Amino acid sequence: MIRAPLVKALGALGSPTHQIASRAVRTSAVVAQTPAKAPEKIEVFVDDIPVKVLPGTTVLQAAAEIGVEIPRFCYHERLAIAGNCRMCLVEVEKSPKPVAACAMPVMKGWRIKTNSDLTRKAREGVMEFLLMNHPLDCPICDQGGECDLQDQAMAFGSDRSRFTDINYTGKRAVEDKDIGPLVKTVMTRCIHCTRCVRFASEVAGVDDLGTTGRGNDMQIGTYVEKLFLTELSGNVIDLCPVGALTNKPYSFVARPWEIRKVSSIDVLDAVGSNIVVSTRTNEVLRILPRENDDVNEEWLADKSRFACDGLKRQRLVAPMVRMPNGELQAVEWEGALIAVAKALKNAGGQIAGVAGQLADVEAMVALKDLVNRLGGENLVTEQDFIKGSGIDVRSSYLLNSSIAGLATTDAVLLVGTNPRYEAPLVNTRLRKAFMHNEMQLASIGPNIDLSYEHKNLGADASLIKDVCSGSHEFSKVLEGAKKPAIIIGADLLARPDGAAIHATISEYCQKLKKADWNPFNVLHNSASQVGAFDVGYQPGLQRMLQNQPKVLFLLNADSGKLTRDQLPKDCFVVYIGSHGDNGASIADAVLPGAAYTEKQGIYVNTEGRAQQTLPGVSPPGMAREDWKILRALSEIVGKPLAYDTLDELRSRLDDIAPHLTRLGELVPASNSEASPQTTPNKSISGGAIDVKLKELRDYFMTDAISRASPTMAKCISAVNKQQRQNEEAKQSAAI
Amino acid sequence: MAKFLGINRLGRLFQAIREAGGLKQAYLKLYRNDDLKTGKLIGIDKYGNKYYENPYYFYGRNRWVEFTPHVNMDYDASQIPAEWYGWMHYKTDLPPIRDGCRPKHKWIADHSENLSGTKEAYAPYTTTTPKIEAWNPNKK
Amino acid sequence: MAGREVVKRAVQQVRPILSVNREEARKRALNLYKAWYRQIPYIVMDYDIPMSVEQCRAKLREQFIKNRSVTDIRVIDMLVIKVCPILPLLFIKETQLMNIQLLLQGQMELKESVEIWKQKGHIMRYWKESQDPKPTDFLSKFIQGIN
Repeated sequence: MIRAPLVKALGALGSPTHQIASRAVRTSAVVAQTPAKAPEKIEVFVDDIPVKVLPGTTVLQAAAEIGVEIPRFCYHERLAIAGNCRMCLVEVEKSPKPVAACAMPVMKGWRIKTNSDLTRKAREGVMEFLLMNHPLDCPICDQGGECDLQDQAMAFGSDRSRFTDINYTGKRAVEDKDIGPLVKTVMTRCIHCTRCVRFASEVAGVDDLGTTGRGNDMQIGTYVEKLFLTELSGNVIDLCPVGALTNKPYSFVARPWEIRKVSSIDVLDAVGSNIVVSTRTNEVLRILPRENDDVNEEWLADKSRFACDGLKRQRLVAPMVRMPNGELQAVEWEGALIAVAKALKNAGGQIAGVAGQLADVEAMVALKDLVNRLGGENLVTEQDFIKGSGIDVRSSYLLNSSIAGLATTDAVLLVGTNPRYEAPLVNTRLRKAFMHNEMQLASIGPNIDLSYEHKNLGADASLIKDVCSGSHEFSKVLEGAKKPAIIIGADLLARPDGAAIHATISEYCQKLKKADWNPFNVLHNSASQVGAFDVGYQPGLQRMLQNQPKVLFLLNADSGKLTRDQLPKDCFVVYIGSHGDNGASIADAVLPGAAYTEKQGIYVNTEGRAQQTLPGVSPPGMAREDWKILRALSEIVGKPLAYDTLDELRSRLDDIAPHLTRLGELVPASNSEASPQTTPNKSISGGAIDVKLKELRDYFMTDAISRASPTMAKCISAVNKQQRQNEEAKQSAAI
Repeated sequence: MAKFLGINRLGRLFQAIREAGGLKQAYLKLYRNDDLKTGKLIGIDKYGNKYYENPYYFYGRNRWVEFTPHVNMDYDASQIPAEWYGWMHYKTDLPPIRDGCRPKHKWIADHSENLSGTKEAYAPYTTTTPKIEAWNPNKK
Repeated sequence: MAGREVVKRAVQQVRPILSVNREEARKRALNLYKAWYRQIPYIVMDYDIPMSVEQCRAKLREQFIKNRSVTDIRVIDMLVIKVCPILPLLFIKETQLMNIQLLLQGQMELKESVEIWKQKGHIMRYWKESQDPKPTDFLSKFIQGIN
């Protein structure tokens, strides 16, 4: 079975003479991991500078090692080598023709000239051919200013034109394609680098895009009219070196030199992708991925990229208090804080707090401190988890194998999770392992499409027991693997028998454990969850409801799991958050907080990596940063919290859990503490395991921000429309 | 001699007082208009403003208006309607009551005075949509 | 080494701005006070401020007294030149006569007032600042939305 495309295998292996077989691919991966066996380095000369590289390195990589950048369009580090743009032609001494640097492995003693007359002439020629059929619409092109073709035409193109067709009779023109509400296509601008095609088939795992025709008639497209709908479609915008694929919601909005860029963190899933927030005049215009090999490589999921217009809708811009007539009315901060303070004074310590999906660690700590000072202990997360003492040990709720580590696994069992939609970038890692590592993957739960082959063992929960007792056939695969991993969905553990499932699997993982490898993984779907457990929140709303709180704080808790009927009649609900959603509509007092692009907040991702968001814009209207609201409230109540500034709060965080302030670092849960001390008091009760996000349409709206986003709504209707069309086509075919 | 002593002016004063309708009325007029002049009533507009002329006074002071009594001291030059404006400003010597060829259409809007400084004053307002759409809690 | 430093510090002569000793500084301050005192009626008249001459004189005294604790000669000099007046030495002796030259050292504030380079509001700021003071504690900063 050849999973990786041919050229990829070649590129990874480096030697074109090597037999191409899956076995070989696997050995190459192993070789890459164990540098001890690395073959001797060979010496080549790039512009007469000697450089020693491993055999199989391409000319382009060898040049990059000494900082010589060779222009390229089709080559991309994370995609297979295509070698079709010819922009990277360089002269090699004693070679009759210039060679394509991206695809040609170096040979011993080669003298590569990246700036010789021949090389320059080759580049100018290629550039001339590219520009011959490229429209001169840079002034109205969205890529203008960040366009590879523009930049490279300036740097490497000829200084004069031989284009004499002033009537523009000969320029190629291609019809635009409608590939969905996210990606805008202007196919005339396409230079056929095929990066998008390779991304779709290799990383996203949907073979929707392809090329048709040859030579001048070549076209990129979906062949039949079809939408390019995946959870990763936005990445083709970044990959496209020209303006053929651009961001549809961002079209004609701004130029790259007008915008300010802020490096931040995405919080719409638990991966914690690194992002760049582009802002102008206090408005978030777009979100781009930021490279971080440990988390998101350089990809970004569509929700994280396109839901940013949800930051401008349904916002809470003023504090609100529920009037006797039952309507929420906007008031001044003093009024709202005093109303809450009154309720707190009358509560007599019966105070509870619920941290929702988008809560940052600072706000959670401030809420915890406030509630504790007022005599309450009742702090829970909105997302449920195992009951009992399961979260005392940090490794019991982390993705211990680490996101990057998942790409090196060779056997994975998914239990009640759909990583494709719960954490798309974790799924790309798994897919990578599948492609290059011969990873075998099985899932317990509903049969879902992960964009690559996997074995569905069934949906019955009792299968967990079978696998973990070693009686199932997949147990042998897991036990024989070098790096096995079991990934449990967070929603699964909320079941009544969640603790038993958790205990069973973690016990089994003790058996599978290697010296520096922990196979036990929990895949969370809310960005706040790990941070909340780290600072001492307890999982689950039930625990909070049992205590009949008189005052309840909802910190960004918007999932709608909590309704007014579940609460005692006299309970005063305070909502702190950025969006008017489920939480705010049941609240008695609404205190407007900041969204993740408006505050400096720490979020801990599912593997336990603390990262911080940075403010790109200021909170709208009278909204304030969440922790400041709690700090101000504490002063009105008369029990001021001990921190006035973010730095002071951060040092408080440092006292609670030092890893929270080691930003960007992965602090793994130590292996010694990972021994499961919980004994399953209940056995796994069986019954079907389900996951919430089964299809693409479920993916787009999962939190307050994406629910407010018009683009996400468009995505859902596009998916529905596509499905309707498919069904109609099927019916007519049947007739 | 009489001119030299200003006796003729005194006579003019008496005339003005007489025309005003007594000492008290003259005083009130003086108080309101800061001036007491005699003149020929040229016309009254539909709002009740009275327009006078007396060529005895120097050009620029020989046409004046006494605003309708109900505005009291809140009179303003913009209360003079457009048709009398021309006569007041010497654009024409033909007052509108004697000018037959003034256009009269149904659709001509009624004159309105300058509303600056009153409640009805124009205040500019934004016509652009706000960048942030606020949540409306009472919308279902 | 450290000892030598201390000695150096102690011996080191501070370069004066204008006044060489306290006496001279006192004289300058005094002169400034008198100059202001004399100009106040004109200031009141020229700027047409709703304050009486007596009120202005009380304010002048208040401004001087505000800096009464300043003892550094160079600071006194700087205050006399630039901002505003001090009174520390005013009550020590009244013997020295006014020195015309010292008066002409140009007390910026006075000159600006007398030459009508200011406006009414600038004079009235001595009684009431036109801007609200910036909040310093957390709660008022929070309510005003100032970080």
